[in-house]
Amino acid sequence: MASPEPDAVLGSFGADPAAATIVAIGGRGPWLLAWERLRRDPVAVGCFVVILLVVAAALGAPLVAHLLGHGPNTQFRDTGLSAEGIPVGPSKKFLFGTDDLGRDVFLRVLYGARISLLAGVSASGIAVFIGVFVGLAAGYIGGIVDTVLSRFMDVVLSLPYLVFAIALVSLVGPSLVISIVVIAMFSWASVGRVVRGQALSAREKEFVESAQALGAGNLRIMVVDVLPNVLGPAIVYATMLIPLSIVFEATLSFLGVGVLPPTATWGNMLAESIPYYRVAWWFVAFPGLALLVTTLAFNLLGDAVRDALDPRGPLARTRKRRWFRG
Amino acid sequence: MTISKIRLTVTAATLMATALVVSACGSGGSNDSGTPARGGTLRLVGQGDIDFLDPTAGYNTDTHTLARAWTRQLFTYPASKEMAVVSKAVPDVATDIPTDANGGITDGGKTYTLHIRDGVKWNSSPARQVTADDFVRSFKRMCNPVAPVGAPGYFTSTILGMAAYCADESKIPGTAAALANFMNSHDLAGVQAPNPKTLVFHLTQPASDFIDIIAEPFASAVPVEYLKYVPNSPEFVDHVMSDGPYEITKYEPGQEIDLQRNPVWKASVDPVRKAYVDKITITQGVTPEAVQQQIQAGTADMPWDVTVPTPDIPGLTGDPNLTRNPSGQVLYSVFNEQSPNNSGALKNVKVRQALEYAVDKTSVSRILGGVKIAEPVSQILTPLDIGYKAFDLYPTAGLQGDPAKAKQLLAAAGYGSGLTLKFVYAKDTGAYPQIAQSIQSDLQAAGVTVQMIPATRSDVYGRYLANPANGKNGAWDVSLLSWTPDWFGNNGRSTLQPMTDGANYGPNSVDYGDYDNPVVNNLINKASSLSASQTAEVASTWSQVSMQSMKDAAFIPLVSQNLPLYTSSRVHNAVFLPINGNFDITNIWLSGGGQ
Repeated sequence: MASPEPDAVLGSFGADPAAATIVAIGGRGPWLLAWERLRRDPVAVGCFVVILLVVAAALGAPLVAHLLGHGPNTQFRDTGLSAEGIPVGPSKKFLFGTDDLGRDVFLRVLYGARISLLAGVSASGIAVFIGVFVGLAAGYIGGIVDTVLSRFMDVVLSLPYLVFAIALVSLVGPSLVISIVVIAMFSWASVGRVVRGQALSAREKEFVESAQALGAGNLRIMVVDVLPNVLGPAIVYATMLIPLSIVFEATLSFLGVGVLPPTATWGNMLAESIPYYRVAWWFVAFPGLALLVTTLAFNLLGDAVRDALDPRGPLARTRKRRWFRG
Repeated sequence: MTISKIRLTVTAATLMATALVVSACGSGGSNDSGTPARGGTLRLVGQGDIDFLDPTAGYNTDTHTLARAWTRQLFTYPASKEMAVVSKAVPDVATDIPTDANGGITDGGKTYTLHIRDGVKWNSSPARQVTADDFVRSFKRMCNPVAPVGAPGYFTSTILGMAAYCADESKIPGTAAALANFMNSHDLAGVQAPNPKTLVFHLTQPASDFIDIIAEPFASAVPVEYLKYVPNSPEFVDHVMSDGPYEITKYEPGQEIDLQRNPVWKASVDPVRKAYVDKITITQGVTPEAVQQQIQAGTADMPWDVTVPTPDIPGLTGDPNLTRNPSGQVLYSVFNEQSPNNSGALKNVKVRQALEYAVDKTSVSRILGGVKIAEPVSQILTPLDIGYKAFDLYPTAGLQGDPAKAKQLLAAAGYGSGLTLKFVYAKDTGAYPQIAQSIQSDLQAAGVTVQMIPATRSDVYGRYLANPANGKNGAWDVSLLSWTPDWFGNNGRSTLQPMTDGANYGPNSVDYGDYDNPVVNNLINKASSLSASQTAEVASTWSQVSMQSMKDAAFIPLVSQNLPLYTSSRVHNAVFLPINGNFDITNIWLSGGGQ
């Protein structure tokens, strides 16, 4: 996997020069080129497969529950716990063992994926939407609007988010919706900043001037001319925000200010497993692994998306290699 | 009645809850044979700090474990493995237990005359005899505005003039001079010292448990020197004086407390403390898991304020150093009988009775480590409490609950379509979240929808339970809490009275659900006004209160806890004191004198 990208860019020239003379080369836009690069990145493909599996687990959880004949909150007080209340280990009946209430850890990990994906995707979606909107407005309009919005973003970025989140949740009471709102509230500003910078440089470009000369309105210029030019970084941020949001949700649940028990979330499960880590490894290991694998997959995919969308910069991975070579 | 707060058995002790095994009295491990040896350093390790060093204010069980070593009271509880003995007060600084027969109790049970033991001394220089005035000072200082007594109700409801004295004293400025001036210029009618060796108490009405009330560490002797300092101030902490077997040599809050022998203390004038070890060190800031590992490794001797973590217990089966000690702590669920939710369903005794059947107490017990640690119970009283008589008004097979029966009874009460209950619990207290989920699952099986409200421990009390406005507006319906009486034996004033006396419902009442039955209120009034010579009648009255409160289904008793405690193998004669929730550190000896 030395560097497949040049081949990707050059298309079939390198592979079969003879064929190139025959097959007409279709026009390929930057999006298509990015997709081509992404498609040929084995890490990206691997991560994508992992994410698909997680999504399948999340969607298929009720089906698995139906097949197993019990729900994620069913407490097996006799078969799932020892007489002293210690969870039982992995077995045929409980693939990943049980937790401290005799519940099936396997099924709970699957159900936990639902919450994690829901929180991760929707929170980052909201954050990117707000971030793009505010960043675009600040960067393109400029002036007093820029000053006010930028300072506001600075304020949001400087808030100690965990303390603030805990305070907010203890005021309004914990729930999934509140968790998503809190995560989005603290994530949009970094997107906003980047988008503002992009918009700032884009509005000085000639195509914006020509649009203005043609009499286009500000809103039209923002949406039609500037927005596509800031979308690349926004998409990269979105993929990077998803794992962050998943971890954020798990943190809130872990601290008891996220999703209410008995709903299975990876954060809740990790919090419940703490006292048992020395006697019931499965209780902490499986939700922990699920969280690790999912966030790693999203993170690596995010890296790959960035590399694919930004052919000018060196690849993140090759850059590292060079650095190691000194 | 603002009498009794829930005793804060810090950390792990509250986390779990338990069972009372009558036969567990002899549970002191196997290390209590051999001839006691003197010497060595007893090393305690634990998590938190004491609440107040000032004995007047200190209310935590760990504070009282420490107080045992450096303070003395008129009466106290002996170190004994017999439940009947350990819950009965014996003389400490007083010479005898006053009775009608020995002339100690007169005026129909309203006057107590006590005599001060000769030779009990302060570690002042020169050493000075502890006098009756030191005890008068103790009571006069209780309602100081800075660090007042933890449970004023016990004293204001019994001692003549105490309520008025407290009301006045709590209004003075919080300076040492103002407090000394007030105490020197105001007489407390109910506590008099006609001479240095005689102390006389006058009560508002007979109180069969008065000996127990003044045996609490709140009523420790107070030397005249303490008037120079603001109570529990840094200056006070630097100048504490001891009349017990040990004196404090170092106190670093949250880190370490060290004690060494008090040279002026003599075993001959102390009937309860043997003081075998030379030094005691208390190290704080260690998690329960690490405490357990340190004690097992032998780098520490016993826990300070934590119990053995539940997951560790199965691995210690058969280990003689693990003991399970009946603590008298009861975990229970309380109903908010004022709640307007479900059109006031919880006001209906039939609804509450139905819910009694729903809960699987064996499951709660298992979460806490099994029936040896947490024994399912069917009333608020345990065998350590006066008036305990075994009964179960809501029996289910294997104590595992009977959701079908609960559902059927709910239907009969007119709630066949189900209820929706708000269940508030402390999410930061040990296994409470798991127990709450277990109960939630039980109630749902009986057709009840449960809305969980996890809150911090302080919010559970401050915002929900102890806040009548939130009780009336239905902010909560059911809660989960634990109760440890302040003393055992004749303790109705510290168990059923605060929990069931509806006549005193209000802010800070611990009758959280506003259970109010005139029959019970009358029984309580009767029990509280009987004299010490009528203890048998007192006991039967509290039995009736316990029975009636369960007939009315005021709460769902869940389990009562046997605290699992672990000691190092060199510890001998570790005797559990239920009032302190820990071993008596003044009676432990170490193998070979700690050498």
